Amino acid sequence: MKRLIKLLATGTLAAVILPTAVAQKPTPPQPGPPKPFTVPKAEKFTLPNGLAITMVPYGTIPKVEIMLAVRAGNLNEAAEQVWLADLTGELLKEGTKAKTSEAVDQQFARMGGRLDVQVTPDQTLISTDVLGEYAPDAARLLAEVVTTPRLPASELPRLKADAQRRLAVAKTQPRQIALERFRKLLYGDHPYGRVFPTEPMLAKYAIEDAQKFYAQNFGATRTHVYVAGKFDPAAVKSALTQAFAKWTRGPAPLVNIPKANARRTFELIERPGAVQSTLYLGLPVVDPSHADYIPLQVTNAMLGGSFISRITQNIRENKGYTYSPFSQLSARYRDTYWVEVADVTTAVTGPSLKEIFGEIDGMRKGPPPADELARIQRYLSGVFVLQNSTREGVIGRLNFVNLHGLGDDYLSTYVQKVNAVTAAAVHRMAQKYVDPDRMTLVIVGDKPKINDQVAPYAQVSMKQ
Amino acid sequence: MSARVPRALAIFLCLTASLALAQATKSGPKTKPAAPTKPAAAGFHVPVDSYKLPNGLRVVLSEDHTAPTAVLAVYYNIGFRIEPQDRTGFAHLFEHMMFEGSQNAPKGVFDKLTNGNGGVNNGSTRFDFTNYFEVVPSNLLETVLWLEADRMRGLLITEENLKNQQGVVMNEVKVNVLNQPYGGFPWLDMPQYANSNWYNAHNFYGELKDLEAANLEDVKKFFDTYYAPNNAALVVVGDFNAKQTKEWIAKHFGDIKSGPPIKTPDISEPRQEKEKRAKKIDLLAKRPALAIAYHVPQRNSPEYFAMAILDQLLVQGNDSLLRQELVKKRGYTAEVEGGINLLGNAFNYNGPMLWTASLIHDAEASPEKILEAVDAVIEPLRTKPIDQQMLDLARVKLRSSFYDSVGEFNGFGRADLLASFALFDDNPARINALDAEFAKVTPDTVLKAAREYLRPSNRTVLVLEPGAEAAPKGN
Repeated sequence: MKRLIKLLATGTLAAVILPTAVAQKPTPPQPGPPKPFTVPKAEKFTLPNGLAITMVPYGTIPKVEIMLAVRAGNLNEAAEQVWLADLTGELLKEGTKAKTSEAVDQQFARMGGRLDVQVTPDQTLISTDVLGEYAPDAARLLAEVVTTPRLPASELPRLKADAQRRLAVAKTQPRQIALERFRKLLYGDHPYGRVFPTEPMLAKYAIEDAQKFYAQNFGATRTHVYVAGKFDPAAVKSALTQAFAKWTRGPAPLVNIPKANARRTFELIERPGAVQSTLYLGLPVVDPSHADYIPLQVTNAMLGGSFISRITQNIRENKGYTYSPFSQLSARYRDTYWVEVADVTTAVTGPSLKEIFGEIDGMRKGPPPADELARIQRYLSGVFVLQNSTREGVIGRLNFVNLHGLGDDYLSTYVQKVNAVTAAAVHRMAQKYVDPDRMTLVIVGDKPKINDQVAPYAQVSMKQ
Repeated sequence: MSARVPRALAIFLCLTASLALAQATKSGPKTKPAAPTKPAAAGFHVPVDSYKLPNGLRVVLSEDHTAPTAVLAVYYNIGFRIEPQDRTGFAHLFEHMMFEGSQNAPKGVFDKLTNGNGGVNNGSTRFDFTNYFEVVPSNLLETVLWLEADRMRGLLITEENLKNQQGVVMNEVKVNVLNQPYGGFPWLDMPQYANSNWYNAHNFYGELKDLEAANLEDVKKFFDTYYAPNNAALVVVGDFNAKQTKEWIAKHFGDIKSGPPIKTPDISEPRQEKEKRAKKIDLLAKRPALAIAYHVPQRNSPEYFAMAILDQLLVQGNDSLLRQELVKKRGYTAEVEGGINLLGNAFNYNGPMLWTASLIHDAEASPEKILEAVDAVIEPLRTKPIDQQMLDLARVKLRSSFYDSVGEFNGFGRADLLASFALFDDNPARINALDAEFAKVTPDTVLKAAREYLRPSNRTVLVLEPGAEAAPKGN
């Protein structure tokens, strides 16, 4: 067999054999010119009661995704109501005034779908993904679910027990523990800072609480309906128009923008015997409506937000400290934080932090090389095409644009804006926004083993 | 839920690029059944153009010009099932080595050329194959063909690279199993309890000591044994020109030498005659959990297709019988999850397999109560035939989930099915014949399958108990 593996002794680096390899090396074919990509065309209209509808006929696969995005989320909960939005979301699956939950479940199943409800800090997302031929029926049934829910008292004890169980499980998951504390330290008493309820709080919820939450937060002006996939647009338009015609307008979306903590804050949470330390470190940055957001996305992708990013290449591909580190811009309405998350082997907790902060410092020291920037720009442009080439992806992007109020040309000019970001701009973003002295650090791990390793990071201006 | 960080369900996905992409697009986890079964339907035809290179490489092309993107997937007929007995987890560790550099693309080049040109890449290790794939803008297709050919030709691995990826893989096991409540439950645990043949019943994520012991000699031997064109399938899906793509494939892969024939061990499982019970103590969990598994009929037999129908009826969708019974009626849990082949779907494996269902519950619901409820659902399926309406409902759900597969991840799901049918059946066109197979299933076939395969004596029950201090290791 001629297939070969070069076997090298420890300490002999790949570089040693590279010259020979390079001499006879066939070089990779250059990519052809990129093909033009246009974001799938959307038809938009608004009903007299304020309900917005966006339809995107897309693709060849005979399925359709329909999603109702309602501006009712954890933001709308009072301090003593954490997860009431989630509980209301679960109750939406418990039947309509005219149909039992079992009937609703079966009807969706006969269309090849199921009812999904997901609650985020800003929204309740009610969706289904069914065979395209049933699009008008599915649209009517979703409308029935959200406009005339039964919200039955009979199911409340079961759903509360489910919520207690979910809470108990989440509190044993290291990333959830870290997230909860990170948000608390960033947002304090603002709803975005309340990730978990207490058990007694959950136990107190009565059906009237959920019914009131629904009545006060659901309505046409807070709702945007998205339809994407293969369907008959005229039939769906008519189904939605009829089904939502009589729905109450309801209140305008609540605006409650947090003032996030931007000082060095540090917390080490004990998890006895943990074989990894879970790191959460980040700080508030500008939100998607700000002109710096796209340059900041480029900066994030270069720093930790892609596989070829500096932090990932360093602590995974070079050091082997971790498996799936990532950084991201996590956005809510007029609020965003940048965060790096990594689960690292306990013994190298300190060294991991040293490398992460080292890469952050590197980004802040000077502009990136042109070829590195070009790779990141091509990465984001390519991923944008992938994100906008599935029905779920199309809906996800459109909902992002609408929630953050980014305007109709946001998607069509996105790639152009990414490619206009200069090396100097990336440097400026890193200096302006990714400031270690203002970061919050949460570490979940085996305290006795990592206390000394992480101590230097508890204060600003640590010496490395 | 306010909790926002999605846990990667695709446990063996090794590079995080595509996961990070998923995280960036959605603000939270969208829970859908992990492993639905997927038949084809009349009325939707997947184009299939397949042939074999003289060196034995199976090639499948399937055009779709919906978007200017393409998927390249290379599947090797080597899964963790048959990895070396003193090297548990090695098939998966080896998968990582495939990203560590090849002759003309040293470490780092692969990611720069794929991510750095707007694509994503990944690999995964399953029961019966290891796959490598790129989802890219279509103008990048020849570049990724070149990359895959280069690493099929040979690797360029150093001691340092191996050590680095041993660290990464051990961290992968920690983050997915050792440092998590319910880590490995039931996807990694259940095969170890339910199966009796080592090949099906070992820890395929790997004991840390085995992962640590792996050396360059192992890497070389494994590559020489399994990584050859005659043991692989190459699939291209998406926006491409067929004539040009065939030329590129011939140019880059045509001169790669075939490997020797591969001796495959006996991976068969004996018929299970007695119910098995196992207990696992989970020191990190606070609530108990329970899983059940049954050995499924042999792939492609009439009962196998009937089993996929039973899977739909029992556990897929909000209307499923187990969900209605355990969630809605009894309130034991919020969700019952399960399916055929938890590390894939009902089509992408080739050997003995399990149908599994699991739930996390409260201490008040004892395992006996749960099993009584499960039996209340399953026994009627074993006593009288289901009605036609139920059968039709299951087929609609199968059709819908098949379309999801075909479209999944910009066409990767379609490539996965085509590669599996090419490797395991030498017939990728089977993707268009599935609906006909499911149409042949009658209420009597379903009854026959339920009687033999949903037998209590064909079942393994795994109980997970929240840990107390110094609890004995489960077994």
